[in-house]
Formats: sequence, C-alpha cells, structure tokens
Amino acid sequence: MMTNHDIVSLLVTCQLAAPAATVALVGVPALLGRPPSERATALIVGGGFAAGFIAGVLTLAVLATRGFVPEIVHLGSWFSVGHHEASIELVADALSVPYVCFSTGLCGLVNAFARKYLHREPGFTRFFLLLAVFGTGMNLMVLAGSIDVLFAGWELLGISSTLLIGFFLERGNAVRAAMRAFATYRVCDVGLLTAAVLVHRAVGSGDFNRLFGENWPNGTCLVPAATATMVSLLLVFAAMGKSAQVPFSGWLPQAMEGPTPSSAIFYGALSIHAGAYVLLRCEALLEQAPLARLLLIAIGLGTALHANVVGRVQTDLKSMLAYASMTQSGLIFAEIGFGWRIIPLVHVISHAILRSLQILRSPSALHDRHELEAALGGHPGADRWALGRWLPERLQARFYRIALDRGFDQMVVGRLFVVPFLWLLECAADLERRWLALLGGSAGPGRRRS
Amino acid sequence: MTGSSDGSLLVAAAITVAAPLIGSAATAFGFRRGSPRRFAVAVACVSLLASLAITMLWSRTDGAPFVFGNRLGGGRLVCIDGITAVLLPYVALVEMSILLVAPRRALEQSSVPRILFGAAATFALFLTSHPLLLIVLWCATVLPTWVSVRSTPGGTAAARVFAIAMSAALVCMAVGTVLLIIDPPWAAAAGWVGSAGGWLVAIAVMVRKGIFPFHSWYPALFSGATMSTALAATMPQVASYTAVRLLIGHVDHPEGVAAELVVLSQLALVTATYGAALAIVQRDLRSLIGTLAMSQSAMVLAGLAGTLPMELNGAFCVWISSGLALTGIGLVSWALESRAGPIRLDTPQGRFWDAPALAAFFLLFGLSGIGLPGTLSFVADDLIVSGSLDEQLHAGLLVILATVLSGIAMMRGWFHVFGGPVDSEGTRHGILPRERLALTILLAVLFLLGLWPDPLVRALDRATGRLLGVSVAAPDHGMHDLQDLLQGR
Repeated sequence: MMTNHDIVSLLVTCQLAAPAATVALVGVPALLGRPPSERATALIVGGGFAAGFIAGVLTLAVLATRGFVPEIVHLGSWFSVGHHEASIELVADALSVPYVCFSTGLCGLVNAFARKYLHREPGFTRFFLLLAVFGTGMNLMVLAGSIDVLFAGWELLGISSTLLIGFFLERGNAVRAAMRAFATYRVCDVGLLTAAVLVHRAVGSGDFNRLFGENWPNGTCLVPAATATMVSLLLVFAAMGKSAQVPFSGWLPQAMEGPTPSSAIFYGALSIHAGAYVLLRCEALLEQAPLARLLLIAIGLGTALHANVVGRVQTDLKSMLAYASMTQSGLIFAEIGFGWRIIPLVHVISHAILRSLQILRSPSALHDRHELEAALGGHPGADRWALGRWLPERLQARFYRIALDRGFDQMVVGRLFVVPFLWLLECAADLERRWLALLGGSAGPGRRRS
Repeated sequence: MTGSSDGSLLVAAAITVAAPLIGSAATAFGFRRGSPRRFAVAVACVSLLASLAITMLWSRTDGAPFVFGNRLGGGRLVCIDGITAVLLPYVALVEMSILLVAPRRALEQSSVPRILFGAAATFALFLTSHPLLLIVLWCATVLPTWVSVRSTPGGTAAARVFAIAMSAALVCMAVGTVLLIIDPPWAAAAGWVGSAGGWLVAIAVMVRKGIFPFHSWYPALFSGATMSTALAATMPQVASYTAVRLLIGHVDHPEGVAAELVVLSQLALVTATYGAALAIVQRDLRSLIGTLAMSQSAMVLAGLAGTLPMELNGAFCVWISSGLALTGIGLVSWALESRAGPIRLDTPQGRFWDAPALAAFFLLFGLSGIGLPGTLSFVADDLIVSGSLDEQLHAGLLVILATVLSGIAMMRGWFHVFGGPVDSEGTRHGILPRERLALTILLAVLFLLGLWPDPLVRALDRATGRLLGVSVAAPDHGMHDLQDLLQGR
C-alpha cells in the first residue's frame, strides 16, 4: 500500500523526469543526425510539459488534503567525498508545487504557440530542445530541496536562456546580446556558487532543511545570523543577474533579440523571476539578515524607478515590454525585502501571465496598430505620462535625456569595469605574442594546418 | 591481492603498452601503408580494452597498489594503484578519439608511427613510479611531439619554443630526480641536496605543465602543431602524474617538499585564472583552445597540490572532464579547419549553417568543460571549489574566478565560430560517421560520469585518501621512503 509520501515522491519525480525525458528523446536523435519531425518534436516536448503539469496538479491536490505539510523527497546521494555530500533532494510544499504547475503550464502554452509560430523555421528542433532544457532546469530549481540541486537548475536556466537569445545566429546583434547575457549570468553565478560552498561549510550539507525549517512561508532560520547574512547577500547578488536588477540590467532589453515565444517565457515570465523565487525559497535566511533585506529594497526600488523612466522613451515594443518586466521585477525584489511572502508570490505569477501574454501578442499588436493608423489616416497620438505633467519642463527634459541613454548605468559599468578589464587583457595578450615571437625567433608560432 | 589477479594486471599492463609499440613499429616498416587509420584505431582499441581490464581488475582488489620490479628512489618499475586505474582508460580514450577523427592528410605514413609511439610512451609512464624510468619516458613522450611540430609547415617557431621549454624541463627533471635519489628529503638526515632536488622537480613540473611564467609554449603548440600533436602532448598531463608520484604525499612534511608544493599551488592558481582571462581576447580558435587547455591544466595542479582529499578528488575529476571536453573541442575544430581552413575569432564567422552537427558537438563539449549540470565537469567544479575554499579562501575565489572566465571565453568562442552572417554561396559540410562515433563516445562518457559520478568519485576517494592519509598518519616521516608514503605501507 502506497503512503501519501510515496505518492508525492512519485509525482514529484514525474514533474522532474517528464521534461528531462523529452530532452533526451529529442536531443539524442538530433545529435545522431536523425532529428524528429516538427510535429513529433512539438508533441514530445508538449507531452513532457503536459505530464509535468498533471503531476503537479495531482501533487497539489494531495498536499491540499493534508494542509500543505511539506514533503521532502530524497532521490538518493549523487556523490559524496568525506563530509561533502551532494544529495538529490526535492521538496514539495506550498511554494514549489504551485510554482511548478504554473511554470510547466506556461511552458506548455508557449510550446503550443511556438509550434505554429516557428513552423518551417530552420532552428525548429533547436528551439524546442532548448525549451525542454529550460523546463527541466526550471522544475529542478523550483523543486530543489538542496542548494546543489538548485544550482544545477539555475545553470540550465542560464545556458538555455543564452542559447535562445542567440537563436538567430546569423544576426550580429543576437550574438552580441547572447554573449552579454551569458557574461552577466556567469558573473552573478559566483554568488550562488559561493553561497553553496558556505552552506556546505556551515551545516555539512546543502540541504535546505538544515538551513531553515521546512514550513514555507513560516520557516525558521537554523544557522547563526552572520552565516544567514553572508549567504543572503550572496543570494541577492546571484538573483540580481538573473532578474536584471541595476546595475546588471543591460542585457534584458537586448535579450529580446530571441524568438518571441522564448522572450515571452524567459523575460516576461519565468527566467526573469528566477532570482525572486530563490529569495522567496530562502526567506527564513533573509528574515535573519536585515542588511540583505535593506539592500533588496534599495536595489528593487532603484531598478523599478530606472526601468520605469527608461521604458517610457523606448521606440520598439519589445524593449518597452522588457523595461516593464524590469520595473515589476524590481518591485517584487522590494516586496521581498519588506519581508512579505504571499504578495510577491502573487505578484510574480500575475505579472508573468500578463507579460507573457503581452509579448506573445506583440507581433500581431504591431500589425493591428498599423491597421489602426491606416484607418485613421495618421498617428493616433501618444498618452503622456500623467506624473510627468507635474514636473518642471527642465526636469522633464533632464529625465528624457537620462532615459534616452538608458540611465547611464551601463555606460558607467562599461567604462569603469569592462573596458579597462578588456584593455588589460589585450595588453597581456599582446605581450604574450611579442614574447613568443622573441622565443620562436620569428614572427611567432605560425599558423599550421592539418 | 591474489596471485592470479596480479598476473592478469601485469598482462593487461603489458598489452596496453605493447599494442601501440608494436603498431608503431609495424606502420614504420610499411604495414598497412595505404590505410593506416583502421590499423591504428584497432591498436588503440586494444589498448583501451586492456586499460579497462586494468580498471576492472583493480576495482576488485582491496585498494592496495600493485607493484612489480626493483625499488629505486622510492619507485617501482610497474605501479598500478587507483590513480593509474582511473587515468589509463582516459588516456587510451583520448588517443583513440584522435586517431578516429584525424583528417586523412594528418594520418600520413610517417605520422601514424609517431602517434602510436607517443601513446605507448604515455601508457608506460602512467604505469610506473620508477624515477629514472619516468625521466626516460618524459623524453620518449617529448621527442615525437617535437619531431611532429618541426615537420609541420609553419611550425618551426613553435618547435623552437617547445624545444626550449622541454629541454629546460628535462634537465631540471633529470638533475632533480637524481638529487632526490641521492638525498631523499623524507629521510631522517636529509640535507639541502634533497631539498634542491625537490625544487628542481617542481620547476620541471611547472615548465612541462605550462605554469606561469613558463606557460608560453602551451598556446604556441596549439597554434603551430597539428591538433593531434597538441592534444596528445597536453591532454594526458604527464607532468601532473609525475607530480603525484614524486611530490605529493609529503604535504605535511616540515623539511620535505612542502614549500615546493605551496609555490606550485599558488602559481597554478594564478595560471588557471590568467589563462582563462587571456582566452577571452584570443583572436583565433587554436589560441583559444591552447589558453583554455593551459588554464584547465593549471587548475588540475592547483587541486593536486592541496592537502584535502576533496581537493585532490576534484583535481582528478577536472583532469578527466576538462581533458575529454578539450579533446572534443580540439577534434571538432580540427574537423572544421580541415573543411574550410583556419578559424578566426575577431568577428563572428557564421559557420553554423555550414556544419550544424559539428556546432552541436562543439557546444556540448564546450558546456561540458564549463560545468554544465549533468556532466562530469559540474561534479569536478563542485569538488574543487569546495575543497579549495575549505583550505584557503583566496584559492577558492581564484578557482571560482577561473571557472567564470573560462565559461565566458568558451561561449564567446562558440558564438564567434558559429554565429554571424551566413555565406549563402558557401559549401555545406556534413559530419563523417567516424567523427560522429568518436565525438559521441567522448560525450557519452562525460555525461555518464556526470549523471552517475559516484563510482568514479569513490575510486578516486580511495586513491587520494591513500595518497594523503598516509602522510598525515605518519608521525615519523624519516622512517618512510617515497613508495611507502605513496602506497600506504
């Protein structure tokens, strides 16, 4: 006779295994030179999301009958060396299961939309494969019961996001945007990686139930305040990159170079809120870390203000939506910083649904707009920012100037850090070439070919 | 260990070395002149199977090393322990992949004997702990590489750089080893001679591994030699193996080689970070692979010089994962070059639609080298970062920085090779079945060990525990010779 725990374990494993299996089912034949047809690809990937969604809803039902008492699902030890053990531990609770239902449902919808939208696109299989990788990473991150599993999901999210931004490889802008997003993710991943190591050192494993109580949203912190503060600060740093908070926000508007369905699910819905999810998962740590919370409020409000101002002068729809996403994401960060739990969760879900709908609708909305202008015989006029009318003309002009330059923050980051760093590396590479030329007794080691 | 398994281990070790040696001699005398690839691959397969047999036989033992031959300077003619059992199949797999993917032009009559001879010397090196034999085998592995680079069109400068570096390394290694034998630093009455020997061996390891400031030959070799030569010379990491046999095991010795290890470790950390940073601004694909290989190789040494089993375990995992991933990337880029010439990275080259299958393999190998979850490198990064941070904060931070930078460099490389405007007039290139086979096998191993790392990690844990635990548990270091320290007896 199966116990409730066995049923939940089975369902949670299904939520994770279903999209993961689709990666193998589409990826392996494609790698062996026999990619499935468009129809089969969409069906396989869609089927995986559907199975994950159904398993999620069933888990939710089982949990609801038991008052949402969290269930820890231990899938075994991945590997262990001495005191360092990486276990595959998942958690089904009031945060993870509804979020999985929401994310797999949304992935399934985008899958259905993209099947028509990308019909006969040369990268059709690649798109769906990356969508499946994203779905797997998302479920892994959401269901993670340990920081190791969370980090694995987080990395899959970053990689699939980068590859989808650069989906149209023939476009120079797409390649540059992908590189920029990846560099930002990679830099901010330092936070999560270091936090993971700190957690292992503090409690001897990466399991969340040794860090804080299992009962979300009322978990209690089980580590000293200093550890909680350090881990929280690192998590905030990691979340800033993935959720495009100032000053790591420059990649988001450029990320819209990817196909519309992926923009919708990544930068309107799920990926942009991955940072917020991690912070919500570790809310008990934040409770013990007022410094990190203050930082969250400052960063969140700063990002919201910045994105709101800059978004108003954007001349293309997807950039405007990107800044709108950034504004809401900033507000969600501030809400988490204020110590709220349910409000940011509701905010995340409602914003994700609205924004992904807007992005999916954007190509046809442009078409409608052109028809409207043709019918009116001219521009229908733009609404002015109500608050802007109350500002002095000079201040309005100044804001306009700042907004046109996207708040100067990217310029500052570039001039202070990126350009000097690259300059130093170029100098070092040049010195290396000279040194080799000297050693080699000619113009340096030549280009030899097979 | 039973007598029959001892005999089986010895036979398997002999086959591993003899097969490529005989193959080398046979091809040198004109056997299979028309189609040397099949013969060479068959020989490599025999070595791979024999090395896998060694792994299986060793896994059935109690973990004690198998030794054979006279003792000299703390070493034995044949020494098979957990490290050999894990690394030998890795080296055999790399050699076999190179032979499978090498373009037809690269497998000329003269190059096949060289490749097989180099493989035999490398296998022999990984099977011994005898210091004098190690010196001879160092020479035997260097020689075919140098001859190959020298005979490559446009490779004269690279051959000269390689020759300067390797001559220095060999001299330091020979003199250092002799000094270590004369005056073992772990002996009770050790003097300055043994200490000097330790330092010379450490310098030899640094030069052979391309550790800063002796790193220049590493990218030069990738730029100036054929890819098979560069990969066969660097991926097995014979200097790391030498460091394991001659230096590690004395980490807590107050008068031994601890200072050398500390310097090695710090310089390796700097090299790992510097190489990864330098890779970001490389202007051609070969230099990118060279600098990344230099960085990863240094990362291995940084971990090996650590004092925690987790760190050493991580180093061995990086050794295998980065080796397989970089071999894969090297082979893919070789296949690309053989079709459409050298690849620049200044601007996006737009090769994706020319060779989508190669692009997919490049991407997967690239991601496997930078910690993609589900691959061995994810486990390796986790172990080495945790181990380094446990030991020293700055070491851990440098390892993290190196990981971050190498990731950025790798993805830049992929986007710059395959991204960019497409030449609609250009030829479309497929992937050959033998290329697909070799690359799929490499990738499968990386994923298999990543998804199910426990057997590998446990085997390494046993081996590294023996390597370090002995020295920690030995209060009177003067009572042990090198072999006792290394092998737990």
